[in-house]
Amino acid sequence: MKAEEQNGVEHLQHERLGNGGRRSAEELLGASIGMDVDAKRLTDPIPTIEDKWQLLPAFLRVKGLVKQHIDSFNYFIEVDMKKIVKANELVTSDIDPRFYLKYTGIRVGRPERTDADAADRTITPHECRLRDLTYAAPVMVDIEYTRGRSRVIRKGVVIGRMPIMLRSSHCVLAGASDDEMALMQECPLDPGGYFIVRGTEKVILVQEQMSKNRIIVNTDNKGFMSASVTSSTHERKSNTYVCMKKGRLYLKHNMISEDIPLVVAMRAMGMTSDKEVAQLIAGVDPFYLDLLSPTLEEGAASKLFTQRAALDFIGPKAKSMGRRPGVARRPAHEDALDVLANVVVAHVPVNGSDFRAKCVYVAMMARRVLQSVSDGNKTDDLDYLGNKRLELAGQLIALLFEDLFKRFNSDLKINVDKVLKKPNLAREFDVFSQLMCHGDLITQGLVRAISTGNWSLKRFKMDRAGVTHILSRLSYISALGMMTRISSQFEKTRKVSGPRALQPSQWGMLCPADTPEGELCGLVKNLALMTHITTDDEEEPIRRVAFALGVEDVALITGAELHAADAHIVFLNGLILGITRAAQRFVRQFRVLRRSGRLPAFVSIYIDDHRKIVHMSADSGRICRPAIIVDGGVSRVTSEHVRQLLAGELQFDDFLRLGLVEYLDVNEENDCVIAIYEGEIKPYTTHLEIEPFTLLGAVAGLIPYPHHNQSPRNTYQSAMGKQAIGAIAYNQLNRIDTLLYLMVYPQQPMVKTKTIELINYDKLPAGQNGSVFVMSYSGYDIEDALVLNKASLDRGFGRCQVMRKFTAMVRKYPNNTFDRLTGPPTFQDGKVPERFQFVDDDGMAPPGTRLENGQVYLHKQTPVGDDDGSGAAGGSALTAPSFRSVPMSFKYPDPGYVDKVMITTSESDQTLIKFLLRQTRRPELGDKFSSRHGQKGVCGIIVQQEDMPFTDRGIYPDIVMNPHGFPSRMTVGKLMEFVASKAGAIKGELQYGTCFGGSKMEDMCRILVENGFSYTGKDYVTSGITGEPVGAYIFNGATYYQRLKHMVADKMHARARGPRAVLTRQPTEGRSRDGGLRLGEMEKDCLIGYGASMLLLERLMFSSDAFEVHVCGDCGYIGYKGWCQMCRSSKSMVPIKIPYACKLLFQELQSMNIMPRLVMEDI
Amino acid sequence: MIAEVPTMAIDMVLFNENTSVLADEFFAHRLGLVPLVSTSVDQFKYSRDCTCGEYCKECSVEFTLHVKCTEPGTRVVHSSELISSNKDVVPVVDDNGRGVILLKLSKGQEINVHCVAKKGVAKEHAKWSPCAAVGFEYDPHNNLKHLDYWFEKGIKEEWPLSKNAEEETENDPSAPFDYNAEPTTFYFNVETIGSLDPQAVVIKATRVLQEKLGALQMALEEDQHPDTNANMDEADPWV
Repeated sequence: MKAEEQNGVEHLQHERLGNGGRRSAEELLGASIGMDVDAKRLTDPIPTIEDKWQLLPAFLRVKGLVKQHIDSFNYFIEVDMKKIVKANELVTSDIDPRFYLKYTGIRVGRPERTDADAADRTITPHECRLRDLTYAAPVMVDIEYTRGRSRVIRKGVVIGRMPIMLRSSHCVLAGASDDEMALMQECPLDPGGYFIVRGTEKVILVQEQMSKNRIIVNTDNKGFMSASVTSSTHERKSNTYVCMKKGRLYLKHNMISEDIPLVVAMRAMGMTSDKEVAQLIAGVDPFYLDLLSPTLEEGAASKLFTQRAALDFIGPKAKSMGRRPGVARRPAHEDALDVLANVVVAHVPVNGSDFRAKCVYVAMMARRVLQSVSDGNKTDDLDYLGNKRLELAGQLIALLFEDLFKRFNSDLKINVDKVLKKPNLAREFDVFSQLMCHGDLITQGLVRAISTGNWSLKRFKMDRAGVTHILSRLSYISALGMMTRISSQFEKTRKVSGPRALQPSQWGMLCPADTPEGELCGLVKNLALMTHITTDDEEEPIRRVAFALGVEDVALITGAELHAADAHIVFLNGLILGITRAAQRFVRQFRVLRRSGRLPAFVSIYIDDHRKIVHMSADSGRICRPAIIVDGGVSRVTSEHVRQLLAGELQFDDFLRLGLVEYLDVNEENDCVIAIYEGEIKPYTTHLEIEPFTLLGAVAGLIPYPHHNQSPRNTYQSAMGKQAIGAIAYNQLNRIDTLLYLMVYPQQPMVKTKTIELINYDKLPAGQNGSVFVMSYSGYDIEDALVLNKASLDRGFGRCQVMRKFTAMVRKYPNNTFDRLTGPPTFQDGKVPERFQFVDDDGMAPPGTRLENGQVYLHKQTPVGDDDGSGAAGGSALTAPSFRSVPMSFKYPDPGYVDKVMITTSESDQTLIKFLLRQTRRPELGDKFSSRHGQKGVCGIIVQQEDMPFTDRGIYPDIVMNPHGFPSRMTVGKLMEFVASKAGAIKGELQYGTCFGGSKMEDMCRILVENGFSYTGKDYVTSGITGEPVGAYIFNGATYYQRLKHMVADKMHARARGPRAVLTRQPTEGRSRDGGLRLGEMEKDCLIGYGASMLLLERLMFSSDAFEVHVCGDCGYIGYKGWCQMCRSSKSMVPIKIPYACKLLFQELQSMNIMPRLVMEDI
Repeated sequence: MIAEVPTMAIDMVLFNENTSVLADEFFAHRLGLVPLVSTSVDQFKYSRDCTCGEYCKECSVEFTLHVKCTEPGTRVVHSSELISSNKDVVPVVDDNGRGVILLKLSKGQEINVHCVAKKGVAKEHAKWSPCAAVGFEYDPHNNLKHLDYWFEKGIKEEWPLSKNAEEETENDPSAPFDYNAEPTTFYFNVETIGSLDPQAVVIKATRVLQEKLGALQMALEEDQHPDTNANMDEADPWV
């Protein structure tokens, strides 16, 4: 119902947008019907803009997939940081009034190495990765301060080091060509947008939040209709509510302990006239006045008729903040005034004691409540994407930096005071020395926050954990997917579906397929391909433009005018600017200015017709995307423009500049009519999509023909594509990562998508094209298991390399002792022990060494007595310390090879050794594979090639897939991929399976028929076992298969005997500790139910921690062998077997003065 | 043909120097897959049947490859650069005489390996298979009615006869169906990887088949006359 109604309204609206004039609905309807039945126009060939999708690569060249992170960080470094310093520029002293320190400027240098004696101070990100350093640049300030009576100016004082986002404007990679990237050992396809902190790559995920400084009307948890605003300024964040309780309006705020009747609050803000209040809220509309009357009556009943009386009423209820001890308590009314001025709707500025703007704002909130009470449809949808803002790395770091900078200054001030307090200083006090000794606070604060992910800022009551994540380098796609990920601030425990559901407003902004399964489903989202997230734009020019375009200032307007029938209220970033009496014209002119480049491209404007409001937004965190502008039914982008684009004469930014394309944010998008294809352009259409497949994200864009799949399958593939083994980056062999999976022969898919080309998946693929027969074979293929061809595996299908890192530090200790590396120890006859045989004289196994389980690859020795590294206990350097061997040995059942050994120094000047060990694995039984359609399966059997079925042309399968995978999964896209890649393989060309497009099945079938195959994709097949024809035609073709990281070799585990835990003497737990397999709670119950008590006894005691104790039959305590210490006798000692854990429990109970007794009985 | 025709293939690789980007086992795997001319494979013994310790001339051929790239740019190493110890067993080369690309080296990288090629069959590893694809057909006219064609309009239009149909005559459709008939002619379409000629593969394959059948026949005869094999363990139920 609601949607229909809105649709109708929208149509009207857009008609008006297009033509400017305001016509009656009938006229409009008549016009549009007339248009539809106009047969001549329908049959006209629609002029299509060829290759308009080329705008997409042009967009990605300018913006890239992770541009939002980089833009946001650049904005912070170049603009926000300066603002923060400007706002906190002065440090003064309480002691010496003459003293001051002023920051006159701040800037960030280029990333530098910290090594003390380096000639070339530039550093590359890759070196930081390898050496466990932080990729950071110095933060330099210009200061001006007093030294004694003189004023000193210093420039370029380093106050800390700022971690630099890769590929941001301050990164050494900014603007580097591919060759330069290669020289720096960096992969040119790597998206950047992450930090390198202590050698690990850290991503700050995009955080989704509710909009700040916007009125949101909704029913609160008590069922009252309420309008809430989260005000956010640099000083504080606060929530203000206006709610309707029993027909009366109240103002609610955390800092005020009770709900204040709205009229009283208005009076406290200086609006003592009931009439003024009523007009501001209700205008002259009798309907709203009626709704308001109980509120007004309550105001009258309160008898608080003056501002002072109202303030006195509120004062005692205000929790005043930040009162220092020692300062006299302020009168109540001042408290109230303070709270009202600075805390309640804090983002509305109050000039001196002029509360009018704030009154209008609160009145606006009240009006919105009244509107929603009278019409339930006018509440806001909390899940609507236009009401959300995305917080990016730049904003999060800005918060952190602001907090640290303020702390830095307050620490500085305390220290300055401390020094100045001394009665007579030996020397004139120079604050510069103080400044230098605080250098680590900012550096450490930033590094710690990014490396732990804990953002705890007391000022904003912000305590978020898990803001940063380690960049997953499992595959190129997983790294890319991580950069576009958005995490939501909602708690995952709540069982509400609203925030998790797919919102219609997410169209084109967020990927509908890419979300995890399980508890985070729908809360973690991914950006679509062609999106951009805004940064802050200056408000002042927009304000001026608005006034120039005829907006009447709110300060000069009465309530009656504000809510006049022909007036629209104009908001800028959630603040009331004024009214306009010609909203359509205003919006149109505003857009003209924006399209001509007079206003920033990311400023959005839209009309909210329900509430008669024009919203302008220039704040940060709005998602927006480009669309082609359509004028009077004609697309502004023409084939000529695209030709110029292809010829390189135009860039994407030129399209923006020429007003051919513009950015729409979610709110403005919903105020437009966007045609998907040219053929759908109607006279009222305002925009044209650049390309519909951009509504998918980077990860879901890998799926061929996704529009033919059941939607959950695309979601499954989006999750699995990130686990596929393949090429990671061009510098993958130079990287030393903890765990790296590489495919030996990765191939680009036969059926590509345009997205694949755009994100360079064809250059860094993760999978191989296999010949697949869809048939049942051998029975080892039930439940999605796959049958693999042994010959294919011999030839390298699915083969992968696993690289593992092992690090060792060769430390120096404070007492001048140090670790050392030595050659292998020898027996007396000079022979080297077996497990040390590959260790060279330098204590390390050389690259190329084949290591078996248990063999030593690094022989390190540490000085004895220095276990804690403090050096306090060890012998001094004078006495030669004795050494203890700490060999590092290879602990995997399959042999591995030493790939690389790196010796370097870390940040703290300790020697750091990194070993890279390599294993090559061919697929084996139980390894996991998946196609690109959410169809995962494990290898069930590996069959000799001669036993495989084959076609009359001698084509063998690499994989035999069970046909039962299809009916319930409904992955028609996979069937289409089969046919398309078969056709492509025959013809020797790649095919496309792009969403909403791609190679047509008709063409594919034609290729098949032309080459003597059936258009059905089925072939006559001979059984390899019997040599007879198989009883059906077998559907076969090539399919792109991904090998997933879950491999049997990493999980296989069994144990007969093995290590036990020290405390309980029970077998250890877990594969890594060679643990036992637990006979758990439920298994125990089964055995009890079955009555297998002896088996139970064996499993739980004899096979675990049986222990013989001697119990005294008289007192029941555990004694020694044949002696009871309690009874002082050996008369009735009995040996029994109990679990060691049981004995332990008894002793622990005894230690707590509880004496358990064992009562012995004959059986 | 696919599984049991013996050929020669590199089976052991000793790395003296490998500073290329490819890992040792990666390159060794590539070397193994290089097709070697195996026309003289019958001269060699299987190394499991040979009396030597590890390998010898009787059962193997040695290869060396030593390339170092000294100029800037990329040096492409082809399989033809493998130097064989036996002129009869050399890498298969294509028309331009270079063979398969083994790896690429950039300046300063070096590869120095010593390889041993042995005789083997593809049952053990696919590198010993002489065939790329083997097509197989019998009874092209479907006289035996083993096939039940799927068609939309007509069998004749939709299922064109293969070339092999010229070799046989179609049965008269009006004649009574001979349900005792057996397929007697089989057509193979053999594509090899170059180590052996297709003809040689077919001939060798038939010989392998004959040997197997001979062995089976002998075993059956022994089974029928157990006295001839007196010292056979009669208690063994598996024989």
